[in-house]
Amino acid sequence: MADHRFEHQNSDGATDAEAQAAPLLGAFDGAKPDEHMLGPIQVIPYPMRRFGPDDEVDIVIVGVGSAGGVLLQRFAKAGFRVVGFDAGPFWDTERDWVSDEAGSHKLYWNELRITGGADPLAFGANNSGQGVGGGSVHWAGFTPRFHPSDFRIHSEDGVGVDWPISYQDLKPYYELMEVEIPVAGPAYYPWGDPHGYIYGPHPMGGVGDALVRGCTALNIPVSIGGPVAILSGSHADRPHCIYRGFCIQGCKVGAKQSTLVSHVPDAIKHGAEIRANCMVARINMGDDGRVTGVTYFDRNGQLREQRAKIVYVCGYAIETPRLLLNSACAGFEQGLANSSGMVGKFLMAQAGNVILGRFEEPVRMYKAPPAHALTEEFYETDPSRGFARGFAVQTVGPLPIAFAKQMMVAKGAWGWGMRRVMMDYNHWAGFGLLGEILPWEDNCVTLAEETDRYGLRVASITFSLHDNDKKLIEYGKNKVMEIMSAAGAQEVVQESRYAHLIGGARMGNDPASSVVDSFGRSHDIPNLFLCDGSILPTQGSANPGLTIQAVAARSADYLISEREAVLSRARRLTPTTNPPIRYDLSPEGASGRGVPRLKSRTPNTEIGLGGLAVGTKG
Amino acid sequence: MSLLERFSRGSQDARQHTKQQASKQKTSEQQDTSRLTVDANSRKPLPPRAQPGYYPGYSTLSQQKFWDEATRTVVLQRVHEVPPIRFFSDAEAQLMQAVCERIMPQDDRDDAHKIPILHYIDERLYSGRIDGYRFTDMPPDTEAHRLGLQAIEAIAQKLYGASFITLGQSEQDAVLWTIHECEPPAGEDIWQKMSVQRYWLLLVQDCVDAYYAHPFAWDEVGFGGPAYPRGYMRLQHGKPEPWERPERRYEWAAPPDASSDEYKPVGGGHSQMTPGQEGTH
Repeated sequence: MADHRFEHQNSDGATDAEAQAAPLLGAFDGAKPDEHMLGPIQVIPYPMRRFGPDDEVDIVIVGVGSAGGVLLQRFAKAGFRVVGFDAGPFWDTERDWVSDEAGSHKLYWNELRITGGADPLAFGANNSGQGVGGGSVHWAGFTPRFHPSDFRIHSEDGVGVDWPISYQDLKPYYELMEVEIPVAGPAYYPWGDPHGYIYGPHPMGGVGDALVRGCTALNIPVSIGGPVAILSGSHADRPHCIYRGFCIQGCKVGAKQSTLVSHVPDAIKHGAEIRANCMVARINMGDDGRVTGVTYFDRNGQLREQRAKIVYVCGYAIETPRLLLNSACAGFEQGLANSSGMVGKFLMAQAGNVILGRFEEPVRMYKAPPAHALTEEFYETDPSRGFARGFAVQTVGPLPIAFAKQMMVAKGAWGWGMRRVMMDYNHWAGFGLLGEILPWEDNCVTLAEETDRYGLRVASITFSLHDNDKKLIEYGKNKVMEIMSAAGAQEVVQESRYAHLIGGARMGNDPASSVVDSFGRSHDIPNLFLCDGSILPTQGSANPGLTIQAVAARSADYLISEREAVLSRARRLTPTTNPPIRYDLSPEGASGRGVPRLKSRTPNTEIGLGGLAVGTKG
Repeated sequence: MSLLERFSRGSQDARQHTKQQASKQKTSEQQDTSRLTVDANSRKPLPPRAQPGYYPGYSTLSQQKFWDEATRTVVLQRVHEVPPIRFFSDAEAQLMQAVCERIMPQDDRDDAHKIPILHYIDERLYSGRIDGYRFTDMPPDTEAHRLGLQAIEAIAQKLYGASFITLGQSEQDAVLWTIHECEPPAGEDIWQKMSVQRYWLLLVQDCVDAYYAHPFAWDEVGFGGPAYPRGYMRLQHGKPEPWERPERRYEWAAPPDASSDEYKPVGGGHSQMTPGQEGTH
């Protein structure tokens, strides 16, 4: 009964006494009272700048998430007076975040939303963040670029809509953000526009090994160890990954990027203010058809106003349309920036089925980042499959609670069946389908009659799959199950779900069919900008985080180059060319580094530039 | 007495309210063996243990000195400070406890190592914590749980002419299967107000949320638990860390009267399934 000794140990208070003893490898002491810590090393410069209650600032940013964090940093460094609002906390990660699944509930946007349609979406933990860093706090961190074809699916496949810009317009910003994030991945990434990564790939975990095994058996190319927004080597004051697998519970290590650790510290350093725990209730309009600022509930629930010359709404695909609709006023009865009626329309989510396979040998999928290997071999349209567009296959690594909920659906498990399959947790591996769902007008965000704790009407979301989507999911799901079987799984099951949110305030050249231009400037109101996942017209089958940040950096460059026209209330300009790229505005630590370009397979395009295609001057 | 023991006793107290149950009530040592899991080969009951599962001797709590302070605080609070019942009425709590004992049966655990579930569901509902959305065909979670209990009781009365809490485990499982199958034989008025399938998933997910958040459950399934700032060294081939344990399997079967050790698609696989809600990739 050698085991009895251990069982006794975990059943009484002895371990609490042990906890008092000095640890062998050391839990860190934690943050000191006067410090705001991000990860074990990074300290936010405090005190941060505070604007007075009557100050008119240059720019207000509503939502400091993936896009808002990048914008805040750019504008502060470029010398704007800028305030970022977030409905959630300004995380002190050493104090606030835990290495625990249930304890991470607070990272999500848990306020009520009403979800319906034939195929209703889940929100909260599935796709919505709250607090500084937003969804980037709990993304898994896959950072593939969109493919060149994603920008013109209407021209190429006759479905969805073309973007008002091409891949080439965004490419420099992909490269720039891959440096600033920075992204770890293979030296040669073969899909879309082939490229390499600034940091080397991560070591593999058991799930990635299974994906390689399955793909290799079926002769499918696969990318290992990235691309992910997770450090494979230390970077500035952020340490590298320790492979603890809690990426989507918030990275206490600071190895996985969120804008909280990559851009917010630099924004604070350059004089940005962040007003956390402040819920913006409405955007205010002046008599001249321009926005004048925002009205918000401060941390004490008091209604306050912040005047601003420019307002950026960065609340993601649900909250951005909701705020525009909730800001309806005389002259804008249908909500702001909504003369086209397109606010809230063409909402998308990606098919995110999870395919789980049980293996004879243990896998222990809780180790290593959930995101660490993928294939985009099925990304592009293949007419022989009978539907437009495609999908990716990626590793996932659900922790026990998430896995139990997947088994509840995938196997119908409960009772002793749940206990039994959970005892086999360490034998399972998970792959995620990431499939493109097309933009449909009837998939939309509207306002419900119900109100939240502030008295603001909550969002009501309608979502239904269309024929192409269903065919794509069916084919993709079966393909991923085939890969899982080929990897050696004895039993393969799957759960249907959706990942990410895109659309709801799309960009376009035509003010009659879109809400903003390609820089996020609203067609209707010259000093109102939107920038987040809601403005992307289509979503590809790439995780959208990198693209959202790249679009934000491009939007920032536009506003910075047009600052005189916008701030002076001059007649709006409609630039037809891309703004100059402000490499000098990168956060410290990203300067002087580059992403390797690869020798192109087609002539007359870039040749390898010795690893410094993005030459930063800082 | 630890709070956990108080919890365990509390749940038994609740069951003692019914005469029938009271007559069956025995001390834990003399537990009704029909509720125990059995050895798959000999069919003999397996005595309740401190730690079921295939990782004997593995204890995540024993590693707490390697956890960061914030995580240690949250996990130890979960273990030692079980919240009181404030949302459910006494009668509802009794019924819900009986339901939880079927959705996540723990008769293979000794009393000192049973994981509190009801109390955490009550705490969530009392504090109004939700997951960020509500389906158009569902009432608020608080109301859904109250309605669900009424429906479970109505089904028990319809099928067996007795209250759910007085039924044996096979009858209780049979009642719950009718909801799992999305063919409840009673409670029509209730199912007008909410989707059977979504209620089932709400109920099961609330139970697994509580169970698999507990370090005892991590030990059971061999999960590494909190891992900051130490991290992992052995990522491949399912190898344990030096402080983890290798797997040592044993073959077990559910108690002979229980029927939940079987896998069938929710709703018989006929209806459109509610999408998964956890973030993955």
